[in-house]
Amino acid sequence: MSEACYLKWDVELPERPIKGVKYFGNLKEFVIDSGICSHCTTCANICPVRGITAGDKPIDFPNWEELCVDCGACIRVCPRWNYVPLNGMGEFKEMVAAKSRRFTGQDGGMVTEIIASALEMGVIDRAIFVGRDDEWKPTIVHVKNIEQLEVERVRGTKYSFADVIVELRDAVFHTEKGVGVIGTPCMVSGVRKLQKTVRRYHDRVKVVIGLFCTENFYHHQLYSFLEEKGVDVKKIAKTDITKGKFIATMESGDTISIPVKEFEPIVPSGCKVCQDFSGVESDVSVGSVGSPDGFSSVIVRTDVAKDIMDFIRKNDYAELGEVKQTVIQKLVDFKIKIHPYPPKKKE
Amino acid sequence: METKFGRIKVLYPKQRLIDKIKGHVEALNAGLKEAIKPGRITIEYPRERRELPDNFRGFLLFDVDACISCFQCAFVCPANAINMRGAPNGRYYPCIDYTKCIFCHFCADTCPRGALHRTKIHDVAFSDMDEMLATTEELLKPPEMIREDKYLVKYEIKDGDIVLVKEETVVELAERPKFEIRPAKVSACAHPENCIACTLCVMTCPSNAISTKVENGRRVLIIDPKLCTGCGLCVKECPTCALALIER
Repeated sequence: MSEACYLKWDVELPERPIKGVKYFGNLKEFVIDSGICSHCTTCANICPVRGITAGDKPIDFPNWEELCVDCGACIRVCPRWNYVPLNGMGEFKEMVAAKSRRFTGQDGGMVTEIIASALEMGVIDRAIFVGRDDEWKPTIVHVKNIEQLEVERVRGTKYSFADVIVELRDAVFHTEKGVGVIGTPCMVSGVRKLQKTVRRYHDRVKVVIGLFCTENFYHHQLYSFLEEKGVDVKKIAKTDITKGKFIATMESGDTISIPVKEFEPIVPSGCKVCQDFSGVESDVSVGSVGSPDGFSSVIVRTDVAKDIMDFIRKNDYAELGEVKQTVIQKLVDFKIKIHPYPPKKKE
Repeated sequence: METKFGRIKVLYPKQRLIDKIKGHVEALNAGLKEAIKPGRITIEYPRERRELPDNFRGFLLFDVDACISCFQCAFVCPANAINMRGAPNGRYYPCIDYTKCIFCHFCADTCPRGALHRTKIHDVAFSDMDEMLATTEELLKPPEMIREDKYLVKYEIKDGDIVLVKEETVVELAERPKFEIRPAKVSACAHPENCIACTLCVMTCPSNAISTKVENGRRVLIIDPKLCTGCGLCVKECPTCALALIER
């Protein structure tokens, strides 16, 4: 028998606050039903019986009383279990504004550029992107080569929840070199917790890009909200959020701006307790805030990301600029202020 | 015959009369000898049947009670001749397409429960290609064939010459072979750091070789190598690829 194999092994089980109820029942009680679930879909990824459902609705497990195998994996990977909000700017090695010379994006196209460079360097052999259909409904795209990134629809923000982490399961299974993941700060935290729990993810998820995020939406709610405001979602050419306003540029060239405050009723409750703006646990964070027009702010946090940025510099794939750190800091602090945890009780 | 070397003529060999008579006498002598005491070494198939070795790779038989639907036979088949089909009881059982089968018997060798076993049947006639697809029901019993043989023959070496030994018996061809090669594999946890304690392996194991218990807030999983048949179902089921089949 080979040395590294075991016929007897053990795994630590998490605490079960409600005794006698399956682990998913505990997760449902303390995270989903209490309204702090961020819809990062990490639990749906790990669920061994694939019972946890995500999509364009709150996380659920139909018939969990019967089908849940009570392994507690969902609780072990949930970033909102025993939730301690992460916030601030986080540790970083460098902060630059950059604009890709190869890809055009919503801003600098730097997420696409980083993944393309990582693919070129051979750090990863696949990445999970979020594409969209005509109605801006997110769809998952497994990107395996740079040509796939030239499709316009995988670039730009979608503003809705997508099952990226669920797809990570298949990507990790099939990869040979590594996987790149792009996600909101909650997804980044989910991936990090997943990596701590399951070694396979630790070894195979190589690049985690965090996106600057204040809120994310359920697609159906966002769609009907925009319809209500007179925005024909099918004809949107470009979207942006600047100076507290959501600006949609239509195909005809008209722009419609909606103050961000009006989005308040459709903000999911899980986003209202999130204080992480910049994705402090990511390898590299990217967003438009703090950089000149047409540029992305890039916060490089780990050695992997540093290598990729050096590769981009060496090959002159991107135009570099200055970041106004104070602008990012302002939004980081703003998010902590508007999203207190534990949430303030309404009077 | 015209060639580039000129005309070639093939002549009859010149034979003396005495040689001709000698030849005829020898032929008659040999014919007479064979008539009295035959010394042929060819088999009079189908009236005679040659004795085959115990691990002869012929048509396969299937034992439905032993099958655990582990799909190993279908995975190992190099000719993709084995198709797993759903049965009314919710299980999957193999069907063999004999148009593709190369009779390598990897399936029989790899089956952890010996559900597929070899027979010595090799001479089956089919009227068309469709008939060559043996469904699970057809695999349960030996293929239909008309036996005309009354003798079992085998070759032996006697006085430096090969001779045919004939015996008047009809052997059973679909008998379960005496020697069966089982894969000497066992399931084990190769990556305990990947295990999420979902216990799907415990639920999957058809031979109850994996047991589990909770001890001091830890989920303990134990594989009993004595019970494990090495079917690999748990390895396939493990969602985090923590298990592996290893050599015993």
